[in-house]
Amino acid sequence: MSRSPLEFSLSSRMIKPNRWLNQDWLVLFLVISLVSFGLMMIYSASSSVEMVLRQGIFAVIGIVFMIYLSFSDYQRLLPIYLNVFWIGIFFLLVVLVIPSDAATRRWIDLGIFGFQPSELMRCVLTISAAAFLSRNPRIVFRDWMIVIGVSFLSFYLVFIQPDLGTAIMVLISGILPVLISGFPVSYQIIGIVIILLSTPFIWMNLLDYQKQRVLTFFDPSSDPLGTGWNIIQSQIAVGSGSLFGKGFLQGTQSQLNFVPESHTDFIFAVVAEEFGLFGVMGLFLVYLLLAFRLVMIAKNSNFLFVKLVAGTFIFLLLTYVAFNTAMVVGILPVVGMPLPFLSQGGTALIINMIMIGIILSFRRTV
Amino acid sequence: MKKFFSGKRDSESRKLVLYLILPIFIMFVVLLQTINLTVINGKKYETQSENNRIVSRTIYPTRGLIYDTHDKLLVENIASSQLNLVPERSSDTSKKIKEIADLLNLEKSFLLGIYEKQIKKPRYPFQPITLAKSLDDEQIALFSVSSEKFKGFSVETGLVRSVVNKQSLAHVLGYMGYSVSNDVNKSSNFISGNQVGISGIEKTYHDQLSGKVGTRIEEKDVSGKFVRVLSENNAESGKDLKLSIDLDLQNFLIPFFEGQKGALVALEPKSGLIKALISSPAYDPNIFNSSSSLAEIQSILSDHEGPLFNRATMGNYPPASTIKPILGLAALDEGIVDWNTIIQDDGEFYVEGDPRPYRGWKEDGHGKVDLEKAIVESSDVYFYSTAYDLTIKRLEPFLNKFGFGGKTNIDVEESNGLVPNEKWKLGYIGEFWFKGDSINLGIGQGYMLSTPIQISQAIAVIANRGEIIKPRLVEEIDESPTELESLGKINLKDETNWEKIEKSMIEVINSPNGTANNIKDTRYLIAGKTGTAQIKSYEDQEYEDIRENPFFRDHALFVGYAPIPDPELLILVIIENGESGSRVAAPIAKAGFDYYLTKNE
Repeated sequence: MSRSPLEFSLSSRMIKPNRWLNQDWLVLFLVISLVSFGLMMIYSASSSVEMVLRQGIFAVIGIVFMIYLSFSDYQRLLPIYLNVFWIGIFFLLVVLVIPSDAATRRWIDLGIFGFQPSELMRCVLTISAAAFLSRNPRIVFRDWMIVIGVSFLSFYLVFIQPDLGTAIMVLISGILPVLISGFPVSYQIIGIVIILLSTPFIWMNLLDYQKQRVLTFFDPSSDPLGTGWNIIQSQIAVGSGSLFGKGFLQGTQSQLNFVPESHTDFIFAVVAEEFGLFGVMGLFLVYLLLAFRLVMIAKNSNFLFVKLVAGTFIFLLLTYVAFNTAMVVGILPVVGMPLPFLSQGGTALIINMIMIGIILSFRRTV
Repeated sequence: MKKFFSGKRDSESRKLVLYLILPIFIMFVVLLQTINLTVINGKKYETQSENNRIVSRTIYPTRGLIYDTHDKLLVENIASSQLNLVPERSSDTSKKIKEIADLLNLEKSFLLGIYEKQIKKPRYPFQPITLAKSLDDEQIALFSVSSEKFKGFSVETGLVRSVVNKQSLAHVLGYMGYSVSNDVNKSSNFISGNQVGISGIEKTYHDQLSGKVGTRIEEKDVSGKFVRVLSENNAESGKDLKLSIDLDLQNFLIPFFEGQKGALVALEPKSGLIKALISSPAYDPNIFNSSSSLAEIQSILSDHEGPLFNRATMGNYPPASTIKPILGLAALDEGIVDWNTIIQDDGEFYVEGDPRPYRGWKEDGHGKVDLEKAIVESSDVYFYSTAYDLTIKRLEPFLNKFGFGGKTNIDVEESNGLVPNEKWKLGYIGEFWFKGDSINLGIGQGYMLSTPIQISQAIAVIANRGEIIKPRLVEEIDESPTELESLGKINLKDETNWEKIEKSMIEVINSPNGTANNIKDTRYLIAGKTGTAQIKSYEDQEYEDIRENPFFRDHALFVGYAPIPDPELLILVIIENGESGSRVAAPIAKAGFDYYLTKNE
């Protein structure tokens, strides 16, 4: 891998003179707005000041990381970026090895908070894959296969935790750089066929609760007090929000705990119930505006690394939004996927802000 | 080579944007689904959201208490442990009810019957059905030990109607039970699962006693825990009733009926207020109120003496000679006789061309009889003659005016009684009216039937000089007095006849020949009339043979009021198969007068 020296120093490299003014303030503003709105929603959903404070501390840490990274010189960091995925792999192995009473092994308990290695993995895998694929002027087929291999290994490590939702996102975070960097269409088709053929095998390896979630998705009323409860109650919450919502802290479905997990995966139900259809549209607009600004950064760059990382991160961001909200309104099965910047959960919040910070740092070199 | 590291790289940019189409498309679908949920199905989800959190609870008012005229408590509500069932929370309910009946030593069919009846009625969701009341400590203990097994069942404290003086006012107060009729919805007070008054005052005044059911709208969280009250519609307690019944008088008179069947009505003639109302035998209304034992209820229902039957207002008896003063008024008013008309009474009366004798009660007769003597000595022949002359055409409307054959409108269940006429006889008996039928009517026999309360009302008309007063049991509803109600006035051609007929009735007691001379009192004047109602015709048999069977013996009647000239109390006594109005019935009335008229001295 270290056969050829990395040539990241380029003559076209250009740092704009005024470091402070040259910043995409709108992106920072949108992200901080989303996080603040998320804190409000967590308070509404949990009525717990403690929970809001904890999330607030994570938010502050995330903002520090984001701003620091946005001013960093990513080109200097490339050698590190190339190898960061090892850290991810390391923690994924640690979480599987640590003895635990819980049925799932997703967390490393750090005392004051739980650290989720799978969230880290989807960030570092993209960065390392992008760095690996763009380390040489020309991508050879073997590079792609290595990245695909590592991606599936990472997928497997998360899948056996078990956490199907995040495992799929980890897989995407490794595969997408391959696809964007020009993986031949014919091979893409072969890949899709292989995945389709292996579906029965995957189904057999799903745990009972995962199967149950998929089944109840197709018929929530079959088990209204069991697995279907989440979907029915969150649909009631969204539907009863009407056009303008019931008002902040007035959502009876979430205030009276009818919507389960309302501060984490189902926080979108709280937003819809308390701010209505227009609130939902406003939230979507903020996400799309954020994505648009980030896409512009990627488009303005001439570096393959930038396009692979930014493209994958933006895709992951919107996919999280899409899958999470689709699950809440009942058009996709319930899988554990938080809503970016809003759902309670420290690791995902910090990782998402790190990703934004890294994309912002790409503006510094075009 | 550098081109790969930098440069426009449009291909990658295009792919990058292309892949974003997928999540953006899903977000678009989410938006459509959100519109579907909020705009298209918004109403449905709003309702579901409200149903989730809102629970409506029924607040049952406490039933009004009942007092006697001296504010003695007659009916109260007492706390009792009852077995409740919330059908929504139980499964396999019928089987569980059988098991619980075995466990608590209750009757299976009884509990099942209540459950099956109640489950069909309109009910609020999660509103409990009360299966058994008045559980004792042992039953409560047995239940709590194995309550785990019986989901949806619970032992809770509820209020049970309780009659303080058990039997003495059973027929007046009545009892509570589960309504059988299905038109319970007509009144909001008839909430299923709640008992209703089935008879007596409890039934007539159910609406006033039961008050108004309240509702409380509460918010609950997902675990069903109470959060807060959203709105409250207070229950209104039932109104208290004060009866005109004088419990002391009632309890004083009841022992006279010990072991006898019969009835007594004591009322204030001027006001119609009833001071005592006895029907013997009686029953304990609490057996029905607590509805705990099927066996006890069955034994009351199957008792051939009919303890549930209110003889005072529903018993149909021949009025017998008690009707004679009224027939005398009829004869006077129609000009058949005057006070000086003399009729020869030799013990028998014959219709021309008919060899059959109409016998009087006194074999040798009373000799020359005028109207006063006919009432004092109760001459049958005199009234055979006048009734024969009056004919049914004039008798029937006159008797109807006094309330016979109709309702007195007393505030408990009552029967109509019967004044026969040609049409009735043809329809019911299938025979034409004979002259003999009118003759029998002259002594209150034959087809004529009347209830004790009817006779009392009719005789009170004499005391009131023609005013017909509705008898009533309730004196005050929630402290506000009930009103005296006049049902009309009977005008005689000669109004002095009221006083004259009353004078004859005084002589019934005062004259040495009077049939009720045995109850004469020097302290106050009583006006009254005895009666002995034949229940078995003895044309071919001697009465001495008939009376071998106690059930064929004559009924003894007495009706009278005192003191004259300002009567405070009218008493009617009927003792079934008591044989003698003067010897059996009159002394009971006398005891009542003595007690009532002298106790204030």
